[in-house]
Amino acid sequence: MSESKNTIIRTKYLNPYLGGVLLGLVLLAANFVAGRGLGASGAIKSGVVTVVTAVNPSSVESSSFVKEYRQSHTGNPMKTWLVFEMLGVLVGGFLSGILAGRLKLKVEHSPKITSNKRLVLALGGGVLFGFGSQLGRGCTSGSALSGMAVLSLGGFITMMAIFGTAFAFAYFFRKNWI
Amino acid sequence: MKPRLWLALFIIPLGLIIAAVPQNTIHPYKLTPAQMLEEVNTRTQFIAPETVADMLVKKDPTLQLIDVRSLDEFEKFSLPGAIHIPIADLLSEQYVEVFDQDVKMNVFYSNSTLTANEAWMLTRQLGYNNIYVLEGGLNYWFDAIVNPQKPESTSSDEEFAKYDFRMGASQALGGGSVAAQSSDNKTTAPKPVIRQTPKKKKAAGGC
Amino acid sequence: MGPLAVNELISENTNLFLAFLIGIAFGFVLEASGFSSSRKLAGVFYGYDMVVLKVFFTGAITAMLGLLFFGLFGWIDLDLVYVNPTYLTSAIAGGVVMGLGFIMGGYCPGTSFCGASIGKIDAMVFIIGLFLGVSLFGAGYNWWEELYMAKNLGDPKISESLGLSDGVFALILIVIALAMFTMADWAEKKFPREEY
Repeated sequence: MSESKNTIIRTKYLNPYLGGVLLGLVLLAANFVAGRGLGASGAIKSGVVTVVTAVNPSSVESSSFVKEYRQSHTGNPMKTWLVFEMLGVLVGGFLSGILAGRLKLKVEHSPKITSNKRLVLALGGGVLFGFGSQLGRGCTSGSALSGMAVLSLGGFITMMAIFGTAFAFAYFFRKNWI
Repeated sequence: MKPRLWLALFIIPLGLIIAAVPQNTIHPYKLTPAQMLEEVNTRTQFIAPETVADMLVKKDPTLQLIDVRSLDEFEKFSLPGAIHIPIADLLSEQYVEVFDQDVKMNVFYSNSTLTANEAWMLTRQLGYNNIYVLEGGLNYWFDAIVNPQKPESTSSDEEFAKYDFRMGASQALGGGSVAAQSSDNKTTAPKPVIRQTPKKKKAAGGC
Repeated sequence: MGPLAVNELISENTNLFLAFLIGIAFGFVLEASGFSSSRKLAGVFYGYDMVVLKVFFTGAITAMLGLLFFGLFGWIDLDLVYVNPTYLTSAIAGGVVMGLGFIMGGYCPGTSFCGASIGKIDAMVFIIGLFLGVSLFGAGYNWWEELYMAKNLGDPKISESLGLSDGVFALILIVIALAMFTMADWAEKKFPREEY
């Protein structure tokens, strides 16, 4: 960042506005190429369906969740746009991490809590988010960000719900972050 | 602060430009010339006046007649339930809703079929479905429906049935002379099949 | 003209390959903007780090303007671009659950992959949680299927529902976003925290 503050050492991140413009361009490219926006939770869904059908082949019939998925996606459930995109995300994040020297195996947590507590919260948050993303038909990338770019009402509503709820509960979780 | 100012400087003008541009400025032509030619050759856009009359009599809500002549002519005489869209204003934004839907059948008509056909070609090329042209236009309508000719006694049964139907229709539509009606209608024209051009499937998205 | 895959200008496999490349760009930009750090992500809710707000809205507006201008120049057929459907009940319910998950876990699926890619163990655990959450949803699907399918309003655009044109709505959003950015910069100055 350009300003230097006495008490704050800034890690070398992109200027957020520049990052935003670049993100917008990536999203634009996705819409131009594939006619759809970015996303993430759908890739998790593909993964779950793959694992579930491998472990329990009868679930294709017994589980309506799996059945509906297979009906709309013929072929290998992992061969979807989102799965390939998320693999790319892993590579891209890694590249950026290397270039910026941010590669480090660690648990990132506020100094006020233990790293175990952080992991428990991460797991809990993940479970909730995974559940919610299926219910809301998208996560912040797919529903909120991509939805906003195409002016989708549903995307906008989901975004307001996510951020509104997070703000509402922020007070109760403040000890974990600040 | 500074980057925010640069950002504002850049996106506000862009926003102003895009806000000033009317919606639906660019609606690409969706049919290739070859497809268009095929439709013109097979004359699929024509709908027989009997069919329209039948729908009018039955008060079929899916019918939407569109008069493409001048306002004077429209006010002098128009078919029941018809709306007026002069051909010069066909591409205007206010009428997009009329065409951009899959529920109602839009039937253009003019005095002959010339202007109505022009309207059909334009709207068809924009990719709208459910668009038809009244066969023979108003000229034929008057002859066929309003004042149907009694067929010769040597004509086929079909001709007679058609005549009966037309008489009935013209009565219901308030025109022409009175005559006996036959009870059933053997030659109701088949309801035009609403053809769907294979719509390009949108990519699945979300998540 | 775009979208390339829908107009069949590129094959399905090319589309998937491009998805991979686009993903690389996505991951790179996210990580470079700091979205691989859960503490930065959660910062928007406490005022000490507003990067989420700035990047998110700038990104949405850039893409929105880009799409509208592409449509204007005839480079893309906007009718063929996917617009997220609106299922009112599940959109709100899902959003609430996700919001809670966000403030707890400090990640969302996309950013958790970024975090995992640079070695953040909490991000990896978050991903495990995601799998569990999705499986949970699938397992009990029959119980909430009705809620999931309720109130399908089709796929309306915000501008349509407000009776505005897309361009006018974009302009309004730009003005609102710039106002929010101003507030965000103020908040960051007011609630500074040490760097992480």
